[in-house]
Amino acid sequence: MRSRPSSFRFALLGLASVITLAAAAFPADAANKVLKIGFVGVTSGPAAAWGTSNVRSMQTLADWWNSTGGVKIGDDTYDIDVVTFDDQKDPKRAIAGMEKMAQEGIHYVVGPNVDDGAAAVRPVAEKSGIIYFPYAFPKELYTKPAANAVLGMVANYQSGPAIYKYLKENKGVKTIAFVAANESDPLSQRDGGVAAAKALGLDVVADKDTYQNDTRDFTPVLTPIVKLNPDLLVLSGVAPANAPLLIRSARELGYKGLISTETAQDAKVLEEGAGELANGFISVGGASTPEIRSKSMDEFIDRYTKKFGEYNDESNTKIYALQYIVDTLKADPKAIDSIDEFKKTMDSFSAPNPYLKDSSATLHYVGTTSFGQKRQLAVPLVVNEYEDGKFKTLFIANVD
Amino acid sequence: MEQVIANGLYLGAQYALIALGLTLIFALMNVLNFAHGQMYVLGGFVTYEVYGLLHWPFVVALVASALTLAVLGALIERFLFRTVIKRSEREESTMLLAAGVAYFLDAAILLLFGEKQRGVHKILNGVFIWDNLILPWDRILVAGLAILFIVAFILMMQFTKPGRAMRALAQDRVAAQLMGVPVAFYGLIGFALGAMLAGLVGGLLVTITGVNSGIGGPISIKAFMMVMIGGAGVVGGAIAGGFILGMLESVGLTVLHAYGDITYLAIFVALMIFLAIRPNGLMGKPWG
Amino acid sequence: MTPMQRGTRIAGIGAFLVVVFIAVPMAIAAAHRTDLYYTLSSVALLSIASGGVWLTFYIGRINIGQGAFALVGGYVSAILVTAYGLSFWLSLPLAGLFCAAASVLVGLPILRLRGVYFAMVTLVLTEVARLSALALSVTNGAKGITSIPAPGPIGLFGLTIVPAFDTFAERNVAFYFLSVTVMALCFAGLWRLVNSRVGRLFAALRQNEDLASSMGLNVPALRVLAYAISSFLGGVGGAIFVAIAQSIYPSSFTVNDSVNFMLNCFLGGLGYVFGPMLGTLVLYFGWDLLFQTGQYQLLIYSGVMILLILLLPNGLFSLRLPSRRSS
Repeated sequence: MRSRPSSFRFALLGLASVITLAAAAFPADAANKVLKIGFVGVTSGPAAAWGTSNVRSMQTLADWWNSTGGVKIGDDTYDIDVVTFDDQKDPKRAIAGMEKMAQEGIHYVVGPNVDDGAAAVRPVAEKSGIIYFPYAFPKELYTKPAANAVLGMVANYQSGPAIYKYLKENKGVKTIAFVAANESDPLSQRDGGVAAAKALGLDVVADKDTYQNDTRDFTPVLTPIVKLNPDLLVLSGVAPANAPLLIRSARELGYKGLISTETAQDAKVLEEGAGELANGFISVGGASTPEIRSKSMDEFIDRYTKKFGEYNDESNTKIYALQYIVDTLKADPKAIDSIDEFKKTMDSFSAPNPYLKDSSATLHYVGTTSFGQKRQLAVPLVVNEYEDGKFKTLFIANVD
Repeated sequence: MEQVIANGLYLGAQYALIALGLTLIFALMNVLNFAHGQMYVLGGFVTYEVYGLLHWPFVVALVASALTLAVLGALIERFLFRTVIKRSEREESTMLLAAGVAYFLDAAILLLFGEKQRGVHKILNGVFIWDNLILPWDRILVAGLAILFIVAFILMMQFTKPGRAMRALAQDRVAAQLMGVPVAFYGLIGFALGAMLAGLVGGLLVTITGVNSGIGGPISIKAFMMVMIGGAGVVGGAIAGGFILGMLESVGLTVLHAYGDITYLAIFVALMIFLAIRPNGLMGKPWG
Repeated sequence: MTPMQRGTRIAGIGAFLVVVFIAVPMAIAAAHRTDLYYTLSSVALLSIASGGVWLTFYIGRINIGQGAFALVGGYVSAILVTAYGLSFWLSLPLAGLFCAAASVLVGLPILRLRGVYFAMVTLVLTEVARLSALALSVTNGAKGITSIPAPGPIGLFGLTIVPAFDTFAERNVAFYFLSVTVMALCFAGLWRLVNSRVGRLFAALRQNEDLASSMGLNVPALRVLAYAISSFLGGVGGAIFVAIAQSIYPSSFTVNDSVNFMLNCFLGGLGYVFGPMLGTLVLYFGWDLLFQTGQYQLLIYSGVMILLILLLPNGLFSLRLPSRRSS
C-alpha cells in the first residue's frame, strides 16, 4: 500500500485505506503452516450466484479440513486459507485479481466463471506460474500451447451430445430447438449444442432465438418457439436465475415437450420459480443426487447449510476444484511451490473420489479427447431430472 | 398474432408501472434515479418474505413492500439527495449519488437475501385459453392490478391536493415556491411515492417472475429506456413508453424470429433512430 | 496568467511526472508489489477514456457511451493485429481514428439530443456496440478474439527504441510506462485544448447552445469535434487494454464501464481537467484496496462513495484547489 502514487493531492485516499487496514487485520492461526488457495470470480451483480456457490464450497471445505487438524501434505500439516477476489464479471478486474493472487504467492486459483475472464487472465497466469481452474468452455484455453488452465467441470460439448443421444434413443426426440441469452458464453454453448444435435441427425428447428440476460418475462421470447412444437427445448448456458422463468413461460404457453440444459441448476430455485411446471426438467450436476452421493457429500452439504444458511446444488460440482488441488498436492508435495511438478503429476494422478458412494470412482484428470492433453477435472457427468423439489438421476456418463 | 399482442400489452402494463416511479422522481427533482431497479428488487424481496415465507395474505405483502420503500425513499431524499442538490454546482452530480445508492442497495440486498433467484407459489392457478390465445390467470390479474395502480396514480395526481402540488412543482419549481407550495415537503413526498411505486411493482411481479439480488441495474436501464421513449418527466410519456417498449419487444421477437441474434440489436438501433428524429421522446418537454 | 501561477503550474506538472515515472516505480520496487503495475496501468487507461467523457461533459452532454468506443477501439486494434498482421503501434492510432470517424457518423444525429436524452441514447449505444460485436463475423462473434500477440518492438533507422514487450522480464512494467505515457500525452492535449480558443467555444456551448449559435458559431461542427476527440480517447484506452489482456470479447467493455467512466468524471470533479484521473484512481483503486473485506467489499465501497459525494458534491478536486479552471 505504501507504493501507491502518494502525491499530495491524493490525501483523500487515506479515508479508504484506513478502512482497508482495519479490515485487513484478520487473525492468523499459528499452529499449522498456511496454504493459500485463490479464487477469482464473480460474487456480486447479476451473475453473483455462479461465483458465490464456488467461494462457499471452497470455504466450507477449507473450514472442515482446518477444524479437523488441517491437511497433511508431505511432511507438513497445512491450514487452507481461501483468498477471494470479486471480479464483478469484468475481464479487466479478473486480470487484477490474478495479479493479486500472484502477489500473494498463490499458485492455484479457482475461476474465473466466464469465457472472457478466463481468456483475459491467461497471460498473467502463464507469466506468474499459476494453475487456474476456470468454469469456461473455450477449447483454446486448454489445448496447447495453453498449459495452465484446467477445466473445472464438464463442458457442454461433452455433456450435450450425451444428453441428446440419450433422449433420442429413450424418449424418441426428433426435433430440437435452442434458446440462449445474447452473451458470449451462452451463444458459444448454443453453437456447440446445435453442432452436436446435427451430428446426431436431429432436426434443429430453431437455433437463432436469443434473449437479453435482463429479461424477466420470457413469454414473448418463447412464443414463436413453442409454436414450432419441438420435442426438446434446450436452454443453452442458462443462468440458474433464468431457468425457472423460461420453464414456466414455456409450460404456460402450452409447451408439452422436454426441456434440458447443460449447466448445473439449483432445485430450490426451480421449485420456487416454477413449482411443478419444472417437473421433468433435465440438467447436469456433480455428485448431486442422493442415489449416488457418499456420506462425505452429505456431511459437506450439512456443513455448508450450517455455515451459510442454505445449500446451493451448483456446489455439487464446485466442491471438486479444491479437493483436486489438495489431493494432487498430497500426491506430489513438491508441487506446492512448483506448478511444473503439478503438471507432471496431473498425467498420472489418481485418488479415490470421496463424494461418490461407488468406492471404485476416482479423481483423475481427463480431457485428452477434447483438448489433446489432460486439462480437465473428471467430475461425474450426472444427468438429473427435476421432480417435485428434488433431482433424481437419469443416467451417469464419464468424460475422457 | 393475438398472442403477440397480448404478450405486448401484459409486458407494457408492468413496464409502465416501473417507469412511472422513475419519471415522477425525475420530474420533481431532476434526479435520474439509478437506484430505481434496486428499489424494485427490494420490494420484491419484502413480498417474498411476507407472502412467500411467512404465508401472510398477498395484499398484506404488497402493502408491506410499498410502505418499506416509501419510508426508504423518504429517508434517501431527506438525508442524501437534498444535501447534495443543495451543495452541488451542477445538478448532474446527483447521478453519482444515485449510482452510489444503487451499489449500496445492491450490496445490502445481496447480503440480506442471498444470491439466489427467489420466487413464490402462484397466486392463481389455471390458464385462460381462447382460440389461439393462451394467458395464465395470474398474469391477467397482475396486469389488471398494474393498470389499476396506474389509474389510481393518475387520479391522485389530477384531483388531490398533493397531486396538484407535485404537478406544479414539476412544471416550475420556482413559481411553485412563490405560490406558497412547500417545495421541500412535496419533493420528499414525491420521492417517497416514486420509490413506493418501484416497491409495489417489485412485489407484484415477484409472483410471476420472481426476484434476485442482481437484477436491479438492468431493470433501471430498461426503465430509463421507457422514460426516454415517452419523454422524460411526463406521466403520460412514461406510460406510453412502457407500452411501446413492451410491444416492440413482443412484436420484434416474433417478426425477427428468423434473425434471432440481431433482434435486440434491431430494437436498440430503432430506438436510437427514433430519438434522433424526436429528441424529446414522444411527449417530453425540451430539457437542456 | 501571472509568472507566479505559471511557475506553480510548471512545478505541479514536473512533480506529477516525477511521481508517475520515477517515484511510483521506485515505491513499487521497494514494497515488492509488482501486482500494482497492472492496477495502475488500468487506472491510467481508464482515465484516458474517462478524460474523453469529461470533454463531452465540458460541452454540456452527459455521456454514458464511452464503453462503446473503448470496445470498438479494442476490436479495431485486435483485428488489425491478428487478421492483417499490422504492428500494434500502428493499430493504436488507427483504433483511435476509427472511433473518431465512427463517432462523427453517430454524433451528427444524436448530439442534437440534450440532458437525459443524450445520456440514455449513449447508454443504448454501448449495448448496440456489444450486440454488434456479437453479431458480426469480423469480430468473431461470441467467441471473441484471443491469443493476440503482445506489442512488438519499435525501431527507427535500425535502432530499437522500444523492445518487444515479450522480452521484458516483467511485461507489466512495459505496459505501465506505455499507459502512463499515453495518459500524460492525452491529458496534456486535453488541457491544452480547453485552454485554447476552441476550448472557450466548447465552454460557451455548455452555457448556452442557442446563444452560441446566434453569435455565429457552427454549433453542430463544434459538438461533433468534441465528441470525436472524446471517442478517440476511448478507442485508444480500449486498444491498449486489449493488448494487455491479449484477448477481447463483446463483453470486454459494457454498460457498467460506460457508467463508471461517467462516475469517474463526477467524482474527480467536472470543473477540473485532471478530475477524471483522480476520480478513476479513487474509484478503481479503491475497489482493489478493499479486496480483503470479502463479502462486505461492495457495501463498504459504495458507502465510502456516498460519503465522498455528500462531503464533496463538486468532486474531489474541489477540496484542494480553490482556483477552479472553469465555472
